[in-house]
Amino acid sequence: MAFLSEYIGKPVVDLDGQRIGVVKDLIARNWEKFPHPVIEALLVQHKGGELILPLTDVAAFIAPAIALKHRTEQVKPFSPQDEDIYLVRDVLDKQIIDKDGARVVRVNDLELVRVNGTYLVSNVDVGGMGILRRIGMAGFAQNLAGVLHVKVPKNYISWDNMEILRYDQSMRLKVPVDMLSELHPADLAEIVSDLNSLQTSNFLDSLDMERLADTLEEVEPEFQARLLEGMSDEKVADVLEEMEPDEATDLLAELPKERSEGLLAMMEADDAKGIRKLLAYPEESAGGIMTTEYVSVRPDLTAEQAIQVLRENGPEAETIFYVYVTDEANHLVGVFSLSNLIFAQPETLVSDFTVKRIVSVHPLDEQDEVAQVIAKYDLLAVPVVDEENYLHGIVTADDALDKIIPTAWKKRLPRFYR
Amino acid sequence: MNGDTLIKKNRAFFSNILKKLLIFLSVFGPATITAMADNDAGGVATYSIAGSKLGYPILFPLLLITILLGITQEMGIRLTVITRKGLADLIREKFGVKVAMFMFASLLIANMGTIITELSAVKTTSAMLNLPGIPFVLVIVLVSFWFITKGNYKLTEKIMLISCLFFLTYIFSAFKARPDWGLALSNLAYPHGVAVTPDYLKDYLIIGMGVLGTTITPWGQFFISSFAFDKKIEKGKVNFSQMEAYWGAFLTDFFSFFMIVATAATLFVRGIPLVSGEQAALAIKPFAGELAGSLFAVGILNAGFMGLVIVSLTTAYAFAEFFGLSGSLNDSFRKSKTFYILYLLQLAVATVIILFPGVSLFKLAVTTQVINAIALPLVFYFLIKLTNSKELMGEFANTSFQKNFAIVCTVVIMIASAFTMVAVVLNL
Repeated sequence: MAFLSEYIGKPVVDLDGQRIGVVKDLIARNWEKFPHPVIEALLVQHKGGELILPLTDVAAFIAPAIALKHRTEQVKPFSPQDEDIYLVRDVLDKQIIDKDGARVVRVNDLELVRVNGTYLVSNVDVGGMGILRRIGMAGFAQNLAGVLHVKVPKNYISWDNMEILRYDQSMRLKVPVDMLSELHPADLAEIVSDLNSLQTSNFLDSLDMERLADTLEEVEPEFQARLLEGMSDEKVADVLEEMEPDEATDLLAELPKERSEGLLAMMEADDAKGIRKLLAYPEESAGGIMTTEYVSVRPDLTAEQAIQVLRENGPEAETIFYVYVTDEANHLVGVFSLSNLIFAQPETLVSDFTVKRIVSVHPLDEQDEVAQVIAKYDLLAVPVVDEENYLHGIVTADDALDKIIPTAWKKRLPRFYR
Repeated sequence: MNGDTLIKKNRAFFSNILKKLLIFLSVFGPATITAMADNDAGGVATYSIAGSKLGYPILFPLLLITILLGITQEMGIRLTVITRKGLADLIREKFGVKVAMFMFASLLIANMGTIITELSAVKTTSAMLNLPGIPFVLVIVLVSFWFITKGNYKLTEKIMLISCLFFLTYIFSAFKARPDWGLALSNLAYPHGVAVTPDYLKDYLIIGMGVLGTTITPWGQFFISSFAFDKKIEKGKVNFSQMEAYWGAFLTDFFSFFMIVATAATLFVRGIPLVSGEQAALAIKPFAGELAGSLFAVGILNAGFMGLVIVSLTTAYAFAEFFGLSGSLNDSFRKSKTFYILYLLQLAVATVIILFPGVSLFKLAVTTQVINAIALPLVFYFLIKLTNSKELMGEFANTSFQKNFAIVCTVVIMIASAFTMVAVVLNL
């Protein structure tokens, strides 16, 4: 968490530590559909005049002195656009008026927040602390409050509660005064997604199917669904075919039922079948998170033949470290590891080094039970079998933990950014 | 040209005049009230002392004071009408929060001092009129609070304009004093008619500066701007407001003229010095008559009333503007709570202070004058800088003549203000 007032007057130095000047203003830009302005450049005051430097050239922004990545002569000056907001000139000390034009309060300071390396204006500080900070008394006030055991009241209004009309006019509230809110840390997670979606939507368009599928697999399912909202069904169906069945299933589960049915119909029959099967399981069960792409062999193959199978099917599989041994009806017989296979003599039968005592989970087991099993036995993956020992799929360690960790991680997320 | 068209032309001419008069009346108020309030209790006291100690020659600086007051008030009202922002608004927005805090602090302290002066004048003169001092002060404070909170801009403006009419009492008192009108009027053009001694010259300089110093004040600059803002004068009527600024300055000194004449014709010619301004009402009675004295007292009482309302309002307006809170006479108490409470709080504190007889009004006057003298150059710096700004004022920005003239005026006022400060501190 930082404040605009803390940046004003900060020295700016180049790569060699040569002083360029001091920060006079920060230039922010409004992204379409995104409620908080993103800081794009610094207005630096130096002896000869003013210089506008893009934030991308800044190596350290939160530091006693702002350091650039380049030497002065290598820095390309930033050319601001007409709609850009100069935070000091256009916002600081501005009058805030309500919908009826009545005065409400003034902008005493702006809270800046760092999200994924981007700096944005989160809240408008309209409280007394803002004024104290501006006149350099914030530290004193904090200490005094500490001694007296009183809490320093914060008075913030989220930026998206107001609109800036013209730089020489007041800022107007978009909501009634009694409904003003502060941008809470918890809301920041949402902003992260918002911001990412803005920056990625153009980026996603430029990717080919395979890369797009890989990229989508890396993001949260709720967020995947939002990204796909703007894409055509044909394109989405193609992407789903490219994705791992379990990931694709998760994604389809997030979409409205009608759309997911439509998409399945458009996919190739084989891919659609696997996904349909996975979709039948509850989302948060072993069946819901498992993948059907594993490598299996018959017990009567030799090690050499098994390696050949692995060569053929391995690239498609989610993991090749475990090879499952099944009978003709796909009942699970045992498992061996990649190292077992490699150390075995080529003519040795697979059944000779197959481990028959298997740890497995049921398709309807809760996902955290699955994660516990994996953690307990230190596995890379666990097979999912039913009462008849039929092998439905496997859950890999990363998928199992992925389902557990985000909830814990999400709760802590905002603190990382503050 | 036949008679018909002549009549038509005349009609057009008069309806044009009438239209202009109506527009003028629609903007009328802020500048006149501010200018008249500059002749507050402290102002009347200074003029009375000036008249009794220096006689007619002290009338000479009035012309200069009128010009200076007119120029400075015109800048203030033009700034507000064009930008639709108060002076305090613009100081905060263009010069930042540190400057705003400093200006507000000095305005608050100096205004408190002025309000105490007004209230103590009300207390003293009400006693002269055989009214119970303290209860009378309380009644005035409460009545003012009532019409400020319950009423709207219009009501307050009306009450203040009616209050301005009470300045007519000085004219009556002046006539009753049977002055030498020829000497009085000719002294407006050049000072003469007294034996000039080094002592007289010294007093003339100090009191002359004091007269200027009490007429042009920081609060006057803030008030005209805030009041014009609250009146919501349209941009297109700016030239009428400018006219009113000059008219207000003229009117103020028109009445100052009679204050000085009333005391000069009675006290100066007989060599009776005044210790304090409030005594003037009592002192002129034996020479101008019972009625003239009482009317003079009513005049001081009224000046005190007007001063306490307007100076207290100035602080409240400035606070609202500096910190962006809602503050308008047209708002309900609920909506502009801070504004109204600050208004009342200053009066309440001042009332408590004058309840204690031990409080030295002299020290208070010193403090007030010192702070005003420090704040005034800053106020004019901001005022000139803001009205010079083409970005802010567009075609209504100061011309280079206006700018240079304003700077010269400011320097004169600054010197006067500093001089008054030194004189008051040294108790000359």
